[in-house]
Amino acid sequence: MILNVDLAAEVPIYQQIRDQVVEAIAHGALIEGSTLPPTRTLAADFGINFHTVNKAYDLLRQEGLIRLSRKTGAVVTARAADQLLPSDWTARARTLLAEAVARGIPADHVLQTCRTLLDSFSAAQQEDKR
Amino acid sequence: MTISIILGFVLLGLVLLLALVLPSVTSGTVPFGVRIPAEYSTHPVVAEQARRYRRRVLVCGGVIAVVGVGSLALTRQPLLLPLSVLVLVGLWYGCFFLAHQEIRAAKVDGGWFEGLHQGVAVDTELRTNPPRFPWRWLAPAVVICAGTAVIGILMYPSMPQTLVVHYAGNGTADRLEAKSVGSAFSLVFLQLGLTALLAGLAAAIIHSRADLDPARPQGSARWARHYMALGAKALLGLVAMIDLGLMASSLLMWTGTVTRWAPLVIVVPVLASVVAAVTVLARNNADRGGDGEDTGLTHRDDDKFWRAGLIYINREDLALLVPRRFGIGWTLNFGDPRAAMLLAGVVALIVLVLTLRFGG
Repeated sequence: MILNVDLAAEVPIYQQIRDQVVEAIAHGALIEGSTLPPTRTLAADFGINFHTVNKAYDLLRQEGLIRLSRKTGAVVTARAADQLLPSDWTARARTLLAEAVARGIPADHVLQTCRTLLDSFSAAQQEDKR
Repeated sequence: MTISIILGFVLLGLVLLLALVLPSVTSGTVPFGVRIPAEYSTHPVVAEQARRYRRRVLVCGGVIAVVGVGSLALTRQPLLLPLSVLVLVGLWYGCFFLAHQEIRAAKVDGGWFEGLHQGVAVDTELRTNPPRFPWRWLAPAVVICAGTAVIGILMYPSMPQTLVVHYAGNGTADRLEAKSVGSAFSLVFLQLGLTALLAGLAAAIIHSRADLDPARPQGSARWARHYMALGAKALLGLVAMIDLGLMASSLLMWTGTVTRWAPLVIVVPVLASVVAAVTVLARNNADRGGDGEDTGLTHRDDDKFWRAGLIYINREDLALLVPRRFGIGWTLNFGDPRAAMLLAGVVALIVLVLTLRFGG
């Protein structure tokens, strides 16, 4: 998995790392049991403070996407099919959709964009399985 | 005498060739050790400095060759040729530094990085699933070391009581020593030390940090994986050839054979493998993959960590080995105390060998 961080972006580096790991899971580049490099190694590869990577990993752990242990390091966890969307996800989706409505983007176009993105994730997962 | 002259000129020619070729096989985003955005790699200043550098190197090479031949004719001292190779390396660095300074000044004055988004790319798979250590490439060196040791042990009782431990430039034996385990097996110890050192370096290369291009992360990650494996194999191939040369030298010593071709026994395989390793790495050095990929990011400007464009000093960086900026292969992070320890280890190995061969 490639992590590409923009040092001048407004989005903090830990958030960029967290977002890209989430996308990699959605695309199927990371599957259940995939390991991530140890915090210090990843921080050294980026040339950033290890606390920054630690913060990204901690966010992912809180979201239930990875588990952290001294023995195995950071490992992608199993997906729970019956798991309901967490409330903070709904809140963020609400903000994003509100932005679209506020900009006057038609509802059909918003739905179409969401569908295209979701399809791109499942297409990438199928590709990885092959 | 003839052999040293030929070897001196071959070495001079190879160094000159390398100096002329290196700018072409170096990544376009670090011309003469200056980090620049990809869109400036064809900037007129860069092209002009490359032309001037080649002209200067050619002039220096010509002058050194003439001076070398002249002083050889006058003094009949073949050692002047290796010395002229050293002078050429010094002048080469001077030519590099002039180009480095000019491009760096143009970059700063022109604000080449202004308005660009600098980034860092990491391939996590290089950590979680690194390239495999090429054990098969280590096997020849191990077999040669073991073979030399076994032959030495078998031959020890029949070895001459006085062993030739050094040859002069003209191929005549100029240092003899009484037979002992230290003198007879000095080259075997050197084989073992070098094999361990270079195998360790090959492992370090495989686990070193890749310098990916954030504009083309996928392609450059594929390239880095391939280049690391190639670098490790080149190093292990080199150590096998060095061990072979040392084995042949040991056999000459143990059989009491004195020949004027003795220096060639070690120099030829080593030189051939160095040329082969440099050629293979150079061919894969410039094109770093990822054609058509563009994330909109550019590599972070890290010039402040490179002193004089060549020496990497970054105390904050945990990496010991980093890819070279000018030239091919890897260099040490001199901001890491382990770099000093490694160099001390190499010096200790050399001192040990010299003590074993010439001490007492």
